[in-house]
Amino acid sequence: MKRKQMLAFGLTIAMAASLLAGCGGEKKDKEKEEGGIKEFTAFFAVPGTEINDDNEIQEKIAEITGAKCKETWLTGQTAEEAVGTMIAGGEYPDFIDGGDAMEQLYEAGALVPLDDYIDDYPNIKEYYTEEEWDKLRKDDGHIYWIQQFGNIYGEEKATTHNDEAFWIQARVLEWAGYPEVKTMDQYFDLIEAYQEANPTMEDGTENIPYTILCDDWRYFCLENAPMFLDGYPNDGCVMVDTDKLQVMDYNTSPTAVKYFQKLNEEYKKGIIDPESFTQTYDEYIAKLSTGRVLGMIDQWWDFAYSVNDSLKQQGLNDQGCDYIPLPITIEEGMKNQWHNSGSVLNVASGLAITTDCDDVEGALQFINDLLGQEVHDLRYWGVEGVDYDVDENGEYYRTEEMRTQASDTAYKASHLCTYSYFPQYSGTSRDGINAMSPQNQPREFFDGLNDDVKKCFEAYGAETYVDMLGTSEAPGPWYPLYSFSGTLTTSTPGGMAWTKMGEVKHEYLPKVVMAEDFDQAWDDYMKVYEDCNPQAFLDEMQAELERRIEEHEKYE
Amino acid sequence: MTSAAKRRKKENVMDPVPKITWKEIKRQKVLLLWSVVIVIYGIIFCYLPLGGWIMAFQDYKPKDGLFHSAFIGLENFKFLFSDATFLRVIRNTLAMGVINLASTFVMAIVFAILLNEVKAKGGKKVVQTISYLPHFLSWIVVTGILHDVLSGTGIVNEILMRLNILDQPLNFFAHPKFFWPIVAFANVWKETGWNAIIYLSAITAIDPSLYEAASMDGAGRWAKIKHVTLPGIKPTIMILLLMNVGNVLNAGFEIQYLLGNGLVQSVSQTIDIYVLKWGISQGNYALGTAAGIFKSLVSIVLIVIANQIAKRHGEERLF
Repeated sequence: MKRKQMLAFGLTIAMAASLLAGCGGEKKDKEKEEGGIKEFTAFFAVPGTEINDDNEIQEKIAEITGAKCKETWLTGQTAEEAVGTMIAGGEYPDFIDGGDAMEQLYEAGALVPLDDYIDDYPNIKEYYTEEEWDKLRKDDGHIYWIQQFGNIYGEEKATTHNDEAFWIQARVLEWAGYPEVKTMDQYFDLIEAYQEANPTMEDGTENIPYTILCDDWRYFCLENAPMFLDGYPNDGCVMVDTDKLQVMDYNTSPTAVKYFQKLNEEYKKGIIDPESFTQTYDEYIAKLSTGRVLGMIDQWWDFAYSVNDSLKQQGLNDQGCDYIPLPITIEEGMKNQWHNSGSVLNVASGLAITTDCDDVEGALQFINDLLGQEVHDLRYWGVEGVDYDVDENGEYYRTEEMRTQASDTAYKASHLCTYSYFPQYSGTSRDGINAMSPQNQPREFFDGLNDDVKKCFEAYGAETYVDMLGTSEAPGPWYPLYSFSGTLTTSTPGGMAWTKMGEVKHEYLPKVVMAEDFDQAWDDYMKVYEDCNPQAFLDEMQAELERRIEEHEKYE
Repeated sequence: MTSAAKRRKKENVMDPVPKITWKEIKRQKVLLLWSVVIVIYGIIFCYLPLGGWIMAFQDYKPKDGLFHSAFIGLENFKFLFSDATFLRVIRNTLAMGVINLASTFVMAIVFAILLNEVKAKGGKKVVQTISYLPHFLSWIVVTGILHDVLSGTGIVNEILMRLNILDQPLNFFAHPKFFWPIVAFANVWKETGWNAIIYLSAITAIDPSLYEAASMDGAGRWAKIKHVTLPGIKPTIMILLLMNVGNVLNAGFEIQYLLGNGLVQSVSQTIDIYVLKWGISQGNYALGTAAGIFKSLVSIVLIVIANQIAKRHGEERLF
């Protein structure tokens, strides 16, 4: 009896101890030096996959740079929730990218100003021009973060359309003999005709003609198409009239009415997936991965990386299930701007160093080293002879085997280490021959394409995804304005309106699409929409537009 | 508390209150030691965090912290009560709280009584085990199951279509009117078996001679349930009801958060989700705290009222 009591007591103590250990145990683990290698921690407020602790390329990079970084990602929360919790707790990793919640981190005083350091690190200094660095300055005059993406070194090598589009499966285009599809009406006519002729896939699974992702912040797949349909580029929150330099609301435009009315008609016809507005992101990706979905609007980065690999593994690309972007506008003969060329600097977020980091110089040195060509090649191409080969002209190429290997999940975790949320380049390598990453190397890109996509490109006389859409320059120095709306918080009237507009659109846009009586539903929607005071939001956007144009004039 | 315990309590009251002497303290030192641990736990995790309530009266900025943020009086509360969303959120929380309370409460009692009437011991054990297992599933799993079961190709739609009740699949999650029933159903499914355990144990404590006496008086099964079982577990029912009334505003967070979507957000959002959205996501910690305070105050008021009612009717009560 006595022994049993002792045992129970011991267990209780152990439990209590483990609870306490969970609270404070790992406090000073970070930045520990292991055999002279500095170890940093990083949190990125986007979904991502952790790599193994003994990842091979990570070790190689650590040998060169003397540092490595343990990266953690968002799981099951929004960026704001994760960052908000972090701020409330007051503990941060060394590096952070707060995504949509970057502004909160700045306001909480969690970030280290970087402008005094930048001059000491040549690769970081070179990363942006003076004007671009100034754009990154916050209202207190300091630079707190380095935007990692959209930076093109040398000549641009665009192959993939990494952005939003109306996508359609290659099999639909092939069945119809590769017709020109230029308007939304033609797009849905084509899908309807195909669906009538081929209601199922080869194995008898029913097709889903068109689905809409509407999960939380990803509802752009439903909401911002009117902007593109009117031929405007992705300013994300407004359209900008380039002559009058005036912001316009795309939510209330005549095109918006036409677009949602069309969706409403298609919904009644049963073309639009009835689960559209209730599916989660995971369910959506699972759906696309079965190859059942003929078409949708989405951003390439939002679906392609997971869906394309799984279509390939199931051999569904032989049935033509890969997605092709189409240059669609509301009426024929309009110029579309689904794709923009050139660097896009999103000043709303980036990689920052927090006040909890004890070795700011070391952290910046690490960023600096990651931008060196040797390490950059390791990050995106891998190890020479293992992940890619070099031909006699110095051009990098991969064999089919290497390509398959690189898309294998286990291999990615044990071998590849891209440090994908640290600053990086696209465009041309410093050797002047290769692209900064394999998917932008023209030969590598084309060799890696599936047959259904190749055939489709040939039929349309295109060589890349970008050729399918055509390309245009960024419209002006203010572009993209979403980098400002992303920083709005509820502390200003415009930010408050922006938040409320989002809530209203989340609820009413699906209602409008599913409504029996479209006109009535649209009127209801417009009434509550006006109650959000969108003008306050537009005014703040207009002020920002003018501020950015003024800023730019200083450099001319 | 069983009737036996009640009797003991009454006897205790009649004794003179034992004096606190060193001897008494020494005699109870183990008990005292353990209660000190609990009290410390309570102070650290329940009372210290209340200091953060100051935030609700400040224009709180994480940069300035609790000690340097400007006080703005009741501004945050004013904003809350002029915000139509918040009022709707209160309505949702109360509605779902009451529906959940009523359904899980009644179901647990009914289930416990029914299970008690089962004479086959093996069968009883099996049913009891199976029925309380869902309690150990996390909400993310339960909502996953619900999503599958109620989806367009799920079993519910399949059955309804086979029975010709529907001619095409119904998307349950797209209609606000289904949301509260789905939440209530999920709660009942998950918690009935677990909640029934406490009633089952209360029933076992009923003196078997009472049943024998009832049989002699010619009572059937139904009469025995009505006149012996139910009165026997009445004190348990009252105490649990009181405690649950205080919990009405804890109508849940996970299930509404995980099952909700844009279409049903006007009925799905609870106070907790509102706090997460405005307090954490929008970085307006002060407003989130204000909403939290409001919730706590309402809960305290509810529990006091319920307790008073119980007192007036001479029933078992909390304080």
